[in-house]
Parts: sequence; C-alpha cells; structure tokens
Amino acid sequence: MPVPEGIAMKRSALVVVLLIAGISLMLWAGWHNLRERRLAMQKAQESHVILTPAAPAQGGAQATESNPEPQLRGKAAPAFTLVSLDGKKVSLADYKGRPVLVNFWATWCAPCKLEMPWFEEFRAKYAGQGFEVLGIAEDDAGKDEIAKAAKKLGTTYPILLTDGKVSPAYGGIDYLPESFYINAKGVVVEQTAGLGSKDEIEANIKKAIAATGTTTAGAE
Amino acid sequence: MMRSLRWIASAALLVGFQPLIAQDVAKPKSTVIYVAEQQTVPAGKKAVVEVHFAVVDGYHVNSHTPKSDFLIPTVLKVQPAAGVTEAAPEYSTGHDFSFAFDSSTKLDVYTGTFTVKLPVVAAAGSHTLDATLHYQACDHAACYPPKSLPLQVLFTAQ
Repeated sequence: MPVPEGIAMKRSALVVVLLIAGISLMLWAGWHNLRERRLAMQKAQESHVILTPAAPAQGGAQATESNPEPQLRGKAAPAFTLVSLDGKKVSLADYKGRPVLVNFWATWCAPCKLEMPWFEEFRAKYAGQGFEVLGIAEDDAGKDEIAKAAKKLGTTYPILLTDGKVSPAYGGIDYLPESFYINAKGVVVEQTAGLGSKDEIEANIKKAIAATGTTTAGAE
Repeated sequence: MMRSLRWIASAALLVGFQPLIAQDVAKPKSTVIYVAEQQTVPAGKKAVVEVHFAVVDGYHVNSHTPKSDFLIPTVLKVQPAAGVTEAAPEYSTGHDFSFAFDSSTKLDVYTGTFTVKLPVVAAAGSHTLDATLHYQACDHAACYPPKSLPLQVLFTAQ
C-alpha cells in the first residue's frame, strides 16, 4: 500500500532532524571530551610544576624562576644577628648544634602564609630533635603589622626583622618564600624557593635533622 | 572605534609575544607591561582616558581590592598636569585565584590584561600625564616584592 506523499515528506523531515540531532550530539560529545582532556592535562601540568620544586641534590636541581639553582647548599650558613619582634637580639650562632630552618617571608606574600602554620606544626613535632624555625620578615611593613600577621598565623617561633643585609648574604632574596635548612654544624643542607608541598618541607627538615644526628644540643 | 582597534591590536601583539617573554627572560624586570597608546577625548567635557596593562603570562597581581588587608593592592597614582582635571581612577574588577596548596583561600587578582579608567576634563591640546602603577606580583608558588612602574599617559583633547 503506497504511503501518502504528505506522510512520506514528514518521515523524511523527521529522519533529517534525527540525523542532525545525532550529528550535533556526537560533535558536542567530542568537543566536551576534548575540553575535559585539555582541562585535565592543564591541571596535571600545573600539579607537575608545583609538586617538583627544588629537586634535591642528585645531579643538581633544575633552575627555574621559583626554584633557582641552589647557591648555598653544602656551604656554611651566613651568620646574622637580628632583632626579634619582642626586641631580643637573635643570632644564628645561638642555635649552633641544632637543626634550623631559616625562612624568609613577608606579610604581603600569600604562599608564605600558607606554609608558616606547617612550620609551626613541624617545630612541635621535631622539638625532641632540637629543631627550630627562624622566620625573617623581608618586609617594608612596620613591626606592628608584621607582629599582627604573625599572630594571625599562630606562629610562636622567633620572627626576626630584616636589617637589609641578611638577604644579600643569603644570595639575594628576589622572591618569597625562600627557605634554608641548616644542620647542627651550621651547613645548609637544602635551599628552596617558592611554596613547596608540606611533604617536601618535612623531608627537608628530616634531612637537616639527619645531618645533625639525634642528640639535642645547644638548647636556648 | 579607532581606539578600541588600537587596543585590540596592542593586546594581540602582546599576547603574540608572550611565549617569547616567558622563554627568553627567565625573570622579567616587570611582570606588568604598560600598553601605551595615543587617545583622543572631547575637549572641555567629562571624558575617560583608558590606561591598559598586561600581566606577563604565568603571573598574577593583586587587584585594586585584594581580599586581605595584608595584600598590596594595584594602585595607579597620577601626577597633576596643567589643563587637565582628574577624578579618582576606576579599576577593572579582579577575579578569584587560589594557590594549588590551599584552594580555600581565594585571592582577587588580575591576569592577562586589565584597564584603569581615568575620568578627566581636559583643555584642547595634547596632554601628558605622568603616572606610576604600584603593584605586587606572584606566580604559582612565589611572590615578588612590590614594584612601581612609571609611565606616561598621552592623549589629545579636541
């Protein structure tokens, strides 16, 4: 039985619409898939960049903007005497015999403020090994503002005010945060620039402690 | 229209050169670039001179209204000039940014290009406004000391 012309046309139109819809759906799915893959790739690349700063000693770390070629690793930590927020004179020499993390930071540095609570946590965790943190504020902000920021971050380790001479001695602090992990003999065992992961920071602290030995010496 | 075209061309040129900037200069002297252009405004009437900037790829600077008192805002300071009356600059709005290690802390930043609008009333003729952009930049993991970028805004009132 022949199909009336009107119905045949409607069927054809329906087929065309379904075809267009199908092709559109396939194109959309392809585009969506590509976009998702690009985003995933981008995220992976970001993580890769961030999670591999200042690779430790084997063969030397690759220099990048945030992770410069370590200049002080294996060398004696430059001596300094600075004034703390509570007005006391603090020298690096006061901590000889103890592993020390010297951290340069500033009130305007958001990544610095992310890691400072971690330092506080590790300071408590490794207190038995004599571990100490010295925070040096490379900041034009006044003492009160620095103190306010330190308090807000919950830091209890000594915060020292820069004299403008200490950062050149440490190779010039062009960006923040920068950290120097110093063993009990006063030697820099690791140097990092930019925010690292919490695990990396702990690994570097352990490295400074391991190079120190297990005894607690030269307590304040 | 011509001004818009010039700005688009400048931005496109800058974007085109971004990879060169990122590759050839490991540590740029400035993370913010002033996109200079000649502009024309009506003389003796309220008008707006736009000052365009581009942030080097891979960096961000705090917006004019960062979300923390401790963060340093982007501020354009303009010196008074003869024949020009200025009002307070108007800044682009920033966008959210978080460091990978702490997605809960949202910063308000500029990336790519941003604009500062200077409302002016100027006498007929050519004018040069001396200005300084104060900003503080960071990349994905580190922050750089606050900087000042001196610049000259050129425009003609006719």
